[in-house]
Amino acid sequence: MQPNPLREGLEQERVPDPSCLVIFGASGDLTQRKLVPGLYSLAHDGLLPSGQTIVGMARADMSDEQFRASMREACEQHARIRPIDDAVWDTFAKGLFYVRGEFADRDAYIRLRDRLEEFDRTRGTGGRRIYYLAVPPDFFDDIARHLGENGMVTDPERGGPYTRVIIEKPFGFDSASARDLNRIAVSTFRERQVFRIDHYLGKETVQNLLVLRFANGLFEPFWNRQYIDHVQLTVAESIGVEKRGNYFDSAGITRDIIQNHMLQLVSLVAMEPPVAFEADAVRDEKVKVLRALRPIHDAVRGQYTAGSVLGEDARAYREEDKVKPDSRTETYAALKVFVDNWRWVDVPFYVRAGKRLPKRVTDISIHFRPAPYPLFSRLGLKMNANVLAIRIQPDEGISLKFDSKLPGPNVRTAPVTMEFRYATSFGAEPPEAYERLLLETMIGDATLFARRDEIETAWAWLDPLLKKWESEGEPEPYPAGTWGPEASDALIEKDGRKWRRP
Amino acid sequence: METALNDLRVDVTSIEKQLAGLWRAETSDSEKALTKAALWNVVAHTWTPEQHAHATEILSHASASVPQRTIVIQADPRGDARMTSWISANCHLISGGRQVCSEEISIVAAGDQVDHVPPLVSALLLPDMPVGVWWVGELPRDHHAYAETLLEPADRLIFDSAQFQGREDLELVARIAEETTTAPADLNWARIEEWRAATAALFDPAPMRERLQTVRSIRVFSGGGTSFGALSEALLYVAWLMAQTGREPDFDFVSEGVEAGIAAVEILFEDNSIAVMRGDRDRRVVISTSDGSEASLDCITRTLARNEADLIVRLLKRPEADKVYLKSLRIARRLAQ
Repeated sequence: MQPNPLREGLEQERVPDPSCLVIFGASGDLTQRKLVPGLYSLAHDGLLPSGQTIVGMARADMSDEQFRASMREACEQHARIRPIDDAVWDTFAKGLFYVRGEFADRDAYIRLRDRLEEFDRTRGTGGRRIYYLAVPPDFFDDIARHLGENGMVTDPERGGPYTRVIIEKPFGFDSASARDLNRIAVSTFRERQVFRIDHYLGKETVQNLLVLRFANGLFEPFWNRQYIDHVQLTVAESIGVEKRGNYFDSAGITRDIIQNHMLQLVSLVAMEPPVAFEADAVRDEKVKVLRALRPIHDAVRGQYTAGSVLGEDARAYREEDKVKPDSRTETYAALKVFVDNWRWVDVPFYVRAGKRLPKRVTDISIHFRPAPYPLFSRLGLKMNANVLAIRIQPDEGISLKFDSKLPGPNVRTAPVTMEFRYATSFGAEPPEAYERLLLETMIGDATLFARRDEIETAWAWLDPLLKKWESEGEPEPYPAGTWGPEASDALIEKDGRKWRRP
Repeated sequence: METALNDLRVDVTSIEKQLAGLWRAETSDSEKALTKAALWNVVAHTWTPEQHAHATEILSHASASVPQRTIVIQADPRGDARMTSWISANCHLISGGRQVCSEEISIVAAGDQVDHVPPLVSALLLPDMPVGVWWVGELPRDHHAYAETLLEPADRLIFDSAQFQGREDLELVARIAEETTTAPADLNWARIEEWRAATAALFDPAPMRERLQTVRSIRVFSGGGTSFGALSEALLYVAWLMAQTGREPDFDFVSEGVEAGIAAVEILFEDNSIAVMRGDRDRRVVISTSDGSEASLDCITRTLARNEADLIVRLLKRPEADKVYLKSLRIARRLAQ
């Protein structure tokens, strides 16, 4: 079918065909905080087709009406666009349905299938299916198997309406479990039907990394070992584990943040230009970076003790809810990473992530080599390295630091910055990452999703470090509200460099 | 929140210098972080003090969404010779207590001093930023040299076809589109965006999309009278539908109500079935329904803000010329003959 010609030039140029989006785990936090509020915001912006149908499935006993009421409340609290527009909600809510069922119960899938077929007739969803697995990975096997056995998955090789499945992290606990999960997924679905969500890839600023690098002639010639001294990546959270103590204590910051979000950022910073802005072309280049990662030799882990964050007392990690009192789980990790390829060999990427740090910030900084001839150093002046800093969140933007002459008869210099801020230049709030990713799934563009080989390669690289840490002593303590343990400073300072204060 | 930092009368020969001084003073005095930003040069051209005040107010609102250097001109060729100017900065509070400020320059010229305005404006444009000229009121049918010089650096000519006196005005902007590198941008085009979105949504389902090729006639109901300007929204809508479908069905316009703009659209198909879109101003939506064997579900499209500041922002947020508009303009010009 040709695209709708009336969409050309409209703000809503890409609107998917109507489908049934089934959310497994519809009573969970993710559905209420992100998924349904995100879908409502898409509907509000005119980006959902009429007939788009959302079916929640969970164990709780609920009618369609009760599900709608509960989702209305969720949207009132969490939707990007508030207050809720009654006219938009009324139409959106007509496409919200609920099916009660245990994920291991075959009859539940038959009930689900019957309802989906009914929607094909009444709402024009045409057999198109998206299954969102907003459930722990333990349930993947049951759900995938039942969907397959009950004829609810079409094979894209045979044509016809599409079936897609969205999987949430964690994509495994280590290399072996990641391979197991992928095996489960591809036992029912083909790889191109699987959309693995890493919400960092839905962020505007992360997508802008590709635009910054490949849409501007200025940066790419300098984007290599000849001009770049090192790269720093920081994902800092001021919060502790909140209600996720149970999960986090079994995972740690390396599995929770570094294995997925941070390695995605490293890939985007280090990748070669793709041949096209298409899913496999982009992901091919990203996975090449992951394959070129040198085994880790320098790594530091830490765990926060009691301290103070943003003016409030913060308890120690081991005193958090659902955390073992003798836990050895790391809440901070810093790694020195090398990408062994032509472009990057011997350029260190210093990567750090931590909880209970002084503030919430995600930041990438590219530190350039000094000028080749120290002309002004001879005058006793301290020269500063140029730094291109990309702020992923919050206060998204890009700044460039360089030296400038101070006004006056003497030659004196000082670092100055040129700044670009999204909020300043473009005003509007960027859409939520989940909105973008849900829309991309409906459209069928997998560029912003992780592929199987990316996940498995990332785990294979991290496995030895995680095993080593399991067999070694305890993480180094750091007081909550500081920038991590002293060993983290030592990791970078022994190379004659310092962590940038983001 | 919006504040004007200053409103200084300045010598026209030292506007840039005075603006730099204004920034130095404000950044040293203010306790809040100030950021100067600009994505566009926007030049508003007006003929009367009322239009001048109106344009100043509209662009001060628009600068919150599209940071810009604003230059508002009031030209009175018949008045006594004089030229005066003011500068100020419009600041808008954004997250983190930061204030983003746009510069605003006002120039009032009369008599033979009017001829000095285009070169002065040219000198005041920020380099490397696109230029949008908003022509407020009557289009310059009689002041060719003056208008040509003023429009020479313009990437965009913003105007409101709701104010058109007749098809000569449509001819003029169509000629500008064809003969210059200045792309016309019509506030009425931004006004019909919600109708374009609603129509597109109606034809999204595959069976409905096939019916696009069976449209037999279009009837557009619009308010505000039957003058050329009042009907120009309806004309643009029909021209757009023809441009995008490659078909030229019959059409007619029906006057309905006093409120300007399209109120409803009926599309009749070859099988005599019909699709109807009707605006509900209270609920701020357009509701679309269709009958026939391939009827789609009713759909709702939110209407968009119709005040001038929002319309201008929508036009400026598009970085390049709108090709769909240019196609539609060519057809509208032909239909108007």
